Amino acid sequence: MTTLTRRATLLGVAALTLPHPGLAQADQRPSITIAVQKVVNSNTLEMAREQSNVGTRVYGSYAEMLIDTDWIGDLSLRPALATAWRRIDDRTVELDLREGVRFHNGDVMTAEDVVFSFGPERLWGAGQQAQGTLFANSATGSTGKAPPPEVPAVARRTYPGFDRIEIVRAGVIRFVNRTPDVTLEGRIARNVGMIGSRRAFAEADSWLAWARKPVGTGPYRVVEFRPDRDLTLEAFDEYWGGRPPLRRIRFVEVPEPASRVNGLLSGEYDFACDVNPDQIADIEKNPRFEVVGSTITNHRVTVFDKHHPQLRDARIRRAFTHAIDRQMIVDALWAGRTAVPKGLQWDYYGEMFQADWSVPAYDPAEARRLLREAGYKGDPVPYRLLNNYYTGQVATAQILVEMWRQVGLNVQIEMKENWGQIFDRNAPRAVRDWSNSAAFNDPVSSISAGFGPQGQSQQVGEYENEEFNRLSNELETSTDRPRRRVVFRRMLEIAEREDPVYTVLHQTATFTAKRKDIRWKAAQSFLMDFRRENWGS
Amino acid sequence: MLRFLATRLARALITIVMVVTFAFVVLRLSGDPALLIMSVDAPPEAIAAFRASWGLDDPLWQQYLKYFTAILHGDLGRSMRDGRDAIALVAERIPATLALTLPALAIKLSIGIPSGIYAALHRNSLTDRVVMGLAVLGFTVPSFVLGLLLVLVFAVQLGWLPSGGQDSWRHAILPVITLGAGGAAVLARFTRSAMLEVLGQPYIRTASAKGVPWRAVVRNHALPNAAIPTVTIIGFMVGSLIAGAVVVESVFSWPGVGRLLVVAVANRDLAVVQCILLLVAGTMVASNLVVDLLYGALDPRLRQARAGGAA
Repeated sequence: MTTLTRRATLLGVAALTLPHPGLAQADQRPSITIAVQKVVNSNTLEMAREQSNVGTRVYGSYAEMLIDTDWIGDLSLRPALATAWRRIDDRTVELDLREGVRFHNGDVMTAEDVVFSFGPERLWGAGQQAQGTLFANSATGSTGKAPPPEVPAVARRTYPGFDRIEIVRAGVIRFVNRTPDVTLEGRIARNVGMIGSRRAFAEADSWLAWARKPVGTGPYRVVEFRPDRDLTLEAFDEYWGGRPPLRRIRFVEVPEPASRVNGLLSGEYDFACDVNPDQIADIEKNPRFEVVGSTITNHRVTVFDKHHPQLRDARIRRAFTHAIDRQMIVDALWAGRTAVPKGLQWDYYGEMFQADWSVPAYDPAEARRLLREAGYKGDPVPYRLLNNYYTGQVATAQILVEMWRQVGLNVQIEMKENWGQIFDRNAPRAVRDWSNSAAFNDPVSSISAGFGPQGQSQQVGEYENEEFNRLSNELETSTDRPRRRVVFRRMLEIAEREDPVYTVLHQTATFTAKRKDIRWKAAQSFLMDFRRENWGS
Repeated sequence: MLRFLATRLARALITIVMVVTFAFVVLRLSGDPALLIMSVDAPPEAIAAFRASWGLDDPLWQQYLKYFTAILHGDLGRSMRDGRDAIALVAERIPATLALTLPALAIKLSIGIPSGIYAALHRNSLTDRVVMGLAVLGFTVPSFVLGLLLVLVFAVQLGWLPSGGQDSWRHAILPVITLGAGGAAVLARFTRSAMLEVLGQPYIRTASAKGVPWRAVVRNHALPNAAIPTVTIIGFMVGSLIAGAVVVESVFSWPGVGRLLVVAVANRDLAVVQCILLLVAGTMVASNLVVDLLYGALDPRLRQARAGGAA
């Protein structure tokens, strides 16, 4: 039992009354509040579960991967928790771990933490089969430590040939695949591969408890996450990249775009995310605010169901692609703040980028000719549409329908409430909207992931093409880099020109309104970077 | 009386079963929770795993049967978004909603009823017209428009109040006014109409002719008789305390039951939607029951009729 002596009491009082350096030097760093439409979709902060654009916005502040992407610069891969990496063979990448990196719980990051982060506890589960029933799932991760069944599925898709993480020696690990894969570095850079603290996971009560407050190595640590409400992060001063510039970051859910802007203008928020292009002029009328943003690694596309009676003939789908004046959409609805890309690809594909490729030319005469040749008689073609799921989606659709009408296509908009209704096979379906991202710097992350044999389009039964599928498999497994370039080129020819499954409309852009006195750059991603390098510089 | 109560409770149960069944069918047929919760960009394998894990691939009748059996065992299920217990999820939002709806109800009652009575007692006067003009404005302007207008004036232009959120009592002022204004307008209109009808009755004229002071006529004869339609409206207002602020909560980013309902419906998070619907149906049914009982207290004729019917 502790006894409180007179001396101890006097010492205690003295300690309290003497000037305290910590109290005297109060943290002068600013705190900011960011209004977002949603913090996360899944009510978790674990990126292996949260596969959404909104989740992408927040994860970069609290979690990091071994390899990072330079989202503000040229999108190249750059060191993060690994300082260097090298190829051992087609199946193996060796990485040097950064020394002295600490987790938010104070632990120093070790190779064992990397093994855990790519291991069964966090990603793959114990191979349990899902046995839940509606309203009573037993495998949600809410009580046990096993991840919910969709997490291993995400992991399998992200790392399709993953075999193991091998510890070579302290500070050096190997990412080993079962099969050859030239895209391993890009896959390691995906946010599913965030490195978490093994001890923190072991101490969490459940997988959900971990996923609500993951312990990572990012510049800010999770203080409080209130689902559907807000996420509060606090500076982690032991961050390996230097003391973070902000004391506290609060992401607040404000679902209404007008309310986000009102809150910004009234001074409650420092940033308002997902501003619509038509709000930009009004915001910038006020000299204290500005809208920043740019194109991101995501393209808006229109997808075709080739099994619809009117679309079986590829010439009709080709007519669709030639009837669109894409630049006009960019100018009219985006005030020129985005661009028409060179098909479903991005510059950061590097040697795989096909610089001489382009989207189908706007050529109404060619569209009419193709329709005439195909014998199209003006039968209706349904176009399923969500109400502005994408920025300016309805307005874009109305313009598209009019452009298609100009060449003789009778396209009829069918408004739908959700994606289940968009994909419903019980009624004729022909045209729909989508957006396609490149999660890493290789076309397998976009054209194969979206339209290949395992991609959504083929999985819901909209499309198949034998040659395209064969090439997609080759693109995913080949290590012959020149050959892969040829394969990708041919896939673009099939998917965008010969037997179109989609047509690219424009690159997606995201806009963030903010106080003008804050010097901060928007990333080419939904991600928001609040590290020292991107604040006040 | 017991028979009256038993009949009411039986009807309430049937209503609740119908609400639950209707919501189940509509929600299950109109959207795929896997696509909505996992996001359309999630890998197809993840979406398939999600469906399998929640039994969404089972025939609809099987899903319904399992759900209904679970309800009968007192299990309202778990949220498909994160596996949390649906009842706990809804329960933790109720205080936030009541923090808006109870003060708003107080505003409705304290402004709506007196202004309705005053307007009726000064029929066709300038005051009557002004009060009724404001009342028409109050219930014709949609709450999201009024909410945004208040935000523009008091938050953006004047900077007096916050535009949204739930960080302090000041954050509640604009949403409470938005909620209260519409309800007060409705009550004012109903109270005025009820009062005007009663004031035209022969027994009012008789009381006045007998020399009863006008204040006493109004207090003892007009108000109690005019109370029945007003109590009906108040009953609805009380019944909607739990989920009556859906739009206002969205406009003001207020994390109550209304916003939870919007998010749950958008995601087809069935257990949560059903839990809220059960709560709302239960509140509404209880409120109506209380209103029925109040009718008897307010009007002896109804009490006697029920007693006669039961005999």
